Amino acid sequence: MEETIVTEQARPFPIKTLILLLLAAALLAFPLVVSLPFPRRLMILILLYAMLGQAWNILGGFAGQVSLGHAAFFGVGAYTSTMLLMQLGLTPWLGMIAGGLVAVALSQLIGYPSFRLKGHYFVIATIVLAEIVHIMFTNWDYVGGAVGLTLPLLPESLINLQFHSGNAPYYYISLALLAIVMGVTYLITKTKPGYYFRSIKDDPEAARSLGISITRYKMFAMAVSAFFTGVGGAFYAQFVLYIDPNSVFSFMLSVLIMLIPVLGGIGTLWGPVLGAFILIPLSEFTRIYLGGVGGALDLVVYGALIMLVAIFEPRGIWALVERFFGGRK
Amino acid sequence: MKRKIVLLLLTLLAALLVACVQEEPEEPAAPAEEPTEAPEVDEEEPAEEEGEAEEEAPAEEETETEGEAPETVRIGVVYPLTGALAATGVASQDAFLLAAEIVNNEYPDLNLPMAAEAGITCLDNAQVELVFADHQMSPEIGASETERLITEENVVAILGAYASAVSNTASQAAERLGIPFVNAQSTSPALHQRGFQWYFRTTPHDAIFSELMFQFLADLRDQGTEINTVATIYENTLFGSDSSETQNQFAEQYGFEVVANIAYPSGTADMTSEVQQLIAADPDVVLPTSYVADAILMMRTFEAQNYSPEAILAQGVGFTEGSFLETVGATGNYIISREVFALDLQENKPIIGEVNTMFSEMYDRDLEGATARSFTALLVLADAINRACSTEPEAIRQALLETDIPSEQIIMPWEGVRFDPETGQNVLGTGIMVQALDGQYQTVWPFELATQELVWPYPAWDER
Amino acid sequence: MPDLAILSQVILSGIFIGFIYALVSVGLTVIYGVMDIVNFAHGEFLMLSMYVVFWLYALFRIDPIFGLPVSVLVLFVVGVLTHKLIVRPVLDAPMSAQIFVTCGLLVYLQGVAQFLWSPSYRLIQEPLLSGRLQVAGLNVSLAQGVAAIGALLTTAFVYWFIEKTETGRALQAVAEDRQAASLMGINSDRMFALAWGIGAACVGVAGALLANYYYIFPTVGTVFALIAFVAVALGGFGSVPGALVAGIIIGLVEVLSGFFIAPAYKEVTVFALYLVVVLVRPQGLLGEW
Repeated sequence: MEETIVTEQARPFPIKTLILLLLAAALLAFPLVVSLPFPRRLMILILLYAMLGQAWNILGGFAGQVSLGHAAFFGVGAYTSTMLLMQLGLTPWLGMIAGGLVAVALSQLIGYPSFRLKGHYFVIATIVLAEIVHIMFTNWDYVGGAVGLTLPLLPESLINLQFHSGNAPYYYISLALLAIVMGVTYLITKTKPGYYFRSIKDDPEAARSLGISITRYKMFAMAVSAFFTGVGGAFYAQFVLYIDPNSVFSFMLSVLIMLIPVLGGIGTLWGPVLGAFILIPLSEFTRIYLGGVGGALDLVVYGALIMLVAIFEPRGIWALVERFFGGRK
Repeated sequence: MKRKIVLLLLTLLAALLVACVQEEPEEPAAPAEEPTEAPEVDEEEPAEEEGEAEEEAPAEEETETEGEAPETVRIGVVYPLTGALAATGVASQDAFLLAAEIVNNEYPDLNLPMAAEAGITCLDNAQVELVFADHQMSPEIGASETERLITEENVVAILGAYASAVSNTASQAAERLGIPFVNAQSTSPALHQRGFQWYFRTTPHDAIFSELMFQFLADLRDQGTEINTVATIYENTLFGSDSSETQNQFAEQYGFEVVANIAYPSGTADMTSEVQQLIAADPDVVLPTSYVADAILMMRTFEAQNYSPEAILAQGVGFTEGSFLETVGATGNYIISREVFALDLQENKPIIGEVNTMFSEMYDRDLEGATARSFTALLVLADAINRACSTEPEAIRQALLETDIPSEQIIMPWEGVRFDPETGQNVLGTGIMVQALDGQYQTVWPFELATQELVWPYPAWDER
Repeated sequence: MPDLAILSQVILSGIFIGFIYALVSVGLTVIYGVMDIVNFAHGEFLMLSMYVVFWLYALFRIDPIFGLPVSVLVLFVVGVLTHKLIVRPVLDAPMSAQIFVTCGLLVYLQGVAQFLWSPSYRLIQEPLLSGRLQVAGLNVSLAQGVAAIGALLTTAFVYWFIEKTETGRALQAVAEDRQAASLMGINSDRMFALAWGIGAACVGVAGALLANYYYIFPTVGTVFALIAFVAVALGGFGSVPGALVAGIIIGLVEVLSGFFIAPAYKEVTVFALYLVVVLVRPQGLLGEW
């Protein structure tokens, strides 16, 4: 139940700091060492999904509200920035923030009614709401309908957030985005909202009796979570340069965004990062090495591994890491 | 204890499956046994390609391959090998393998490009080797796999990607890395209008097909058949909405009234409301645009609801894909569809029969629209590589631009293959209309190619 | 206004498909009711049962009607095994881990189906139940009619079993309070396994009936799964009558809104209906808590 972050402060752990520094250095140096586009692309996806997983974790892990509808925020972010770029020529950087804000607005719209629901009723409500958004976008001709939007190819520059000659800039941007989300998550867990989140999750009745406005803090967690998911969507649109409802609003995307923190360790600071570093390469490599023969073996292995992890370490792989360090029970 | 057993079972299963996979590739690859591994070449090339990718512009100065020809020429194939369209993807895989077999070995009797001699003649009979990748119908994965094939598998060209949405992003990746992308099946009209340098499409696109469908209807009307109204029913995707849009456009141009445009969500559980809307609108001709699953469900629902319009004229794909007629059996009879290919065309073009015999002997199924186009695309590409006499991307691109394959040398009913230098679209592609009769699609239009009399109107369900 | 014949045809079809939704949902709700777990691989169970009857038909010429008992038996075993192998270890884990494990099963089963049976669309071409009846001017496909009646009967049977039999009451006791039930000498693990067996057997029936007229494909389960989740929640998690009512309502709403509004939006109306209902009654139509 307890969070690791508490550990770090309570008991400064030099080895941990060292590992962190090494990790940061390795991440920063990666594009210098590896010049092939594919491993870089893989890393970008890992960083992006780590960021999305962490955003989910703020709501699902820390505040305990399991959402299977995060694709709605992702897609809305992607569409907002793309439409602003295509209609008004707005730089994707502002589009990204706008995308995050629209996702926040949507999250409040979704959150207000659905937070009255408990457990699985809430989960199904998030799925259903995301599907409604999905279908609406599929039928909305102004945003390209089912055809989707192909982003205009602009001259490569930071302000245009498009890079054609190499994907190192995308890499650093995704790394920066992840760092920001990690920082925000860390801050939240360290400050009042974090404690409130945990008390809401662990014992809502007690939290209520302490005078904590449960709905308000759930809404807050939802807003933060949605904002970063929307930003992630806007980044994705710039990276892939093509979005359509099926790729940015799909139910399977919502599932993936949830699987990452659950695999890594739900409600922990490092779980989503770990989860992304395991799940994304796993799905990419099973596809590459097993998918090409057309036998769907990649899915068999991928599915089997997910089940194995869930069976052997339901609290996520981060729990294993903790046990290895032996810091806490 | 129990957990250990589970673990054991699951790992055993996984191990078994992995073991299977290592044997698996040999089976489909069997016909093309030749591709011999050439480690030295393989290892030298990555460096070269990588440098190129970094510099973006296709570097001309790299001439290392000129001196000694490579033993294999690797071509990347990005197709949906799992998921809803996997059946078509896997069938296309077979067609590519057959085409590679024909390129790699001597088939002097076949009047096809690259058939007579073994391998890429100009490159010391280098063998064509296909590297397959699965895009799982995801535009993002399609782009990422294309990039991986180009930069890590050192393919000289890409064949992709069946679904239009994926071809869109995959060809964008190829464009960025400066590698030719040959598109065999995607029919979204927008694809060739993007101003790409490295994009080539052998197949006609949906605007051409939609126009052909209305030319066909207009021809019938001129002969005295009474046709006034049409209705489109289409899956709500890129493919479906493009198709419906162009159909509306040509309906107006050719003077037919569109009485309903019905979009439905693909993969729906039930089609009653869609079919009832059709019944209420009562068009003369129903124009469906669907992939297989929905096509099957639609026909079953027509039958259950006892609905028979004057004609069902389909925008191919789901209705003509290999397994469709076989799967629905008698329910599929009398459907008319636009098609790119039909086996009975062999009466006018014997080469089709020869290739189909080889294909069905090897893979136990007949050629159809998707597979015939895959087959053709690889031959077109191999022919260009041979004329380029190089594995340089720019040289291959130039050769593709100069492609001029006559009608006799392809198994399609096209007038040939020649690419528009601006758009990369094959300007000689055209289509036919086929009708399902006794479980087989037969050509019924253009009338001079017809092998069967058209059955019109569509017989009522009780009168069959 | 469309004429009455078309309208009644639409309503009839809505009820038919509604019964099928109901039966798929009943399986899901039994599992949920007894152990508070949503089986995200439920659609894949449906797919397995369709393949069971398909292969019996393709290999041994056994008609789906006679293949049905086999399908029920196989699916019962699949359900029990699922519980024993992968669900029991996560019984006390957080909800997210339970979702995780059944999502893994979903991917795994889809992969296995495609690996073993290839991604080809299959259809049972000439089942005994084929053809069409004309009843009072309405077209009734024999296969769909029988499927609807079969689904209704099965749902009734499950309800009777849970409410009226000794074992059914034991199931309820475990669902209510595991500790208390074990004090009364009820083996809760066996009851859990039984719940999974019954839940899967329900889709065993549904799959065999559907196979008479529906296409069979490795991912066919996803077509029905999302609707089933919504039906279960709409009816109230754990309520068998609730699943039945919700299934029929969803079938009707889907077909009617598809007809009157637009097919492209038919799922939106179903989903919106769910939201409206749970906002008024957060426990679903017939849910108890």
